[in-house]
Amino acid sequence: MNYQFNWSVLWSGQTGAWLLQGVLVTLEISALAWVLAAALGVFSGALRTVPYRPLRALATFYVEFFRNVPLLVWMFFWYFGVPPLLPAVVQNWVFSHGAEFWAGMFALGVYHGARFSEVLRSGIQSIPRTQFEAAQAMGFTTWQAYRLVILPVALRLIVPPATSESLNLLKNSSVALTISVAELTFQTRQIETYTARAIEALTAGTLIYLVLCLSIATIMARVERRFAIPGLIVRVG
Amino acid sequence: MNRLLATVLALTLSLGVAAPAFAQSATLDKINQSGTLTIGTRTGSPPFAYVNKDNQWVGFAIDLVEQAIAPALSRKLGKPIKVEKKESTPPTRIALLASNAVDLIAGTMTDTRARRDSVDFSLTFFVTGAQFLVKTGSPIKGIQDVAGKRIAAQQASTNARIVRERMPTAQLREFPDQPAAFQALAQGQVDAYTNDGIQLAGLKVKAPKPDDWVIVGDFYSYEPYGMAMRKNDSDFRAVVNNGLMEAIDSGKYFELYEKWFGPRGEVPYPLTPENRRFLQLQAVPK
Repeated sequence: MNYQFNWSVLWSGQTGAWLLQGVLVTLEISALAWVLAAALGVFSGALRTVPYRPLRALATFYVEFFRNVPLLVWMFFWYFGVPPLLPAVVQNWVFSHGAEFWAGMFALGVYHGARFSEVLRSGIQSIPRTQFEAAQAMGFTTWQAYRLVILPVALRLIVPPATSESLNLLKNSSVALTISVAELTFQTRQIETYTARAIEALTAGTLIYLVLCLSIATIMARVERRFAIPGLIVRVG
Repeated sequence: MNRLLATVLALTLSLGVAAPAFAQSATLDKINQSGTLTIGTRTGSPPFAYVNKDNQWVGFAIDLVEQAIAPALSRKLGKPIKVEKKESTPPTRIALLASNAVDLIAGTMTDTRARRDSVDFSLTFFVTGAQFLVKTGSPIKGIQDVAGKRIAAQQASTNARIVRERMPTAQLREFPDQPAAFQALAQGQVDAYTNDGIQLAGLKVKAPKPDDWVIVGDFYSYEPYGMAMRKNDSDFRAVVNNGLMEAIDSGKYFELYEKWFGPRGEVPYPLTPENRRFLQLQAVPK
């Protein structure tokens, strides 16, 4: 192995600032996309189980269409495909105000929303049907039964797979560099340009992703414990 | 992207166990044993290295390797040497060299002092400089006009760096490959696309309507292309350089230049007298 490591490139000059900037953009795009994905996921996941066929069909279409096309294609779709549909004035404004960021955010959010939807559906379907029936017997409308009985339980059940899905979302945000979003992986490449230290830069990026993901996993584990319903969800340890 | 990170992680882990090479020239040993010179090159940088209409991986840099460097290696090692090509991109090429996956980067890599800290370069085999590609009639005429404008550049290129330093108010959008950057230019996401002049010329020739595009501005950077190899392997580097010098001496280099950049070449880009002289001066006496 004929390569001399020079780790000091990671904190000399501007590299520290770039990495920090990259982390911020990654967190920003992931957080916004997560909110969008969670909202779409809860909504369409619930719709997939309601007793009205047209609504189910609509949700099924959304899920199957968006999760079965590669994320990279969605990135290009939102960045190259959507703007031409806008009026010229709006288009120009969007291009000057972070079009690539918003395109990336929508691509991530809508794609992961479809995947969240399946996670939620499996949570809902693991709740015995009798709960829904009992809620209806007590005079709840379908909307009330979902809002007050089904969803509160389902959302607690799906915390572990939803955590995995959230971590995937964070890591997939790196695909946004293909449409020039200056997120963390992008910044590690930038460091390579200036210092020609690709291995050091990518190792730093790897470690930062690892730390971010471990932090999120830890927080979600706490959330899971904090909101567990005693007696309903068995937890080990 | 996650796959790339995983590869790099695996690679960094493997560094711990790889034994250091003490042989006189580890690269020549490797080539001697395998009978193969493995190069890292591009698939989308016409005419240096690209996949052509007939699905063949060809180009000026590839020709130089196959017709100048491989023969020099064969003579040195006394046996025929095969050339194997692998895809390498700006962010991966140094890692590919370091991990021994490839022995030589032959594409469009600019020789810079910072890069010389990590890799060694052959002599310069092509000289160009950065310019801008714009729609015909655009108000942008050179780097002096890009302040406040949206400018596309290639990620991990020296050009993006210079624009950022000289025109901090330009809004840079950096794309990993040429097609995405050109698409952004064609749709108006950006006002201009900056890259090495020769690469823009290649892009313009390949565009559906070449007349819609013009290349503007003086060279605002100096981009000498070199072939990169692992550091501190001067025996191997000498063979690579000898191959290139012999090609310049014998006229083979200029023949290949004519094939790719001549009036009937893939991308017409006449060799200036200064550049011809510069190339000739690099070839030291036998």
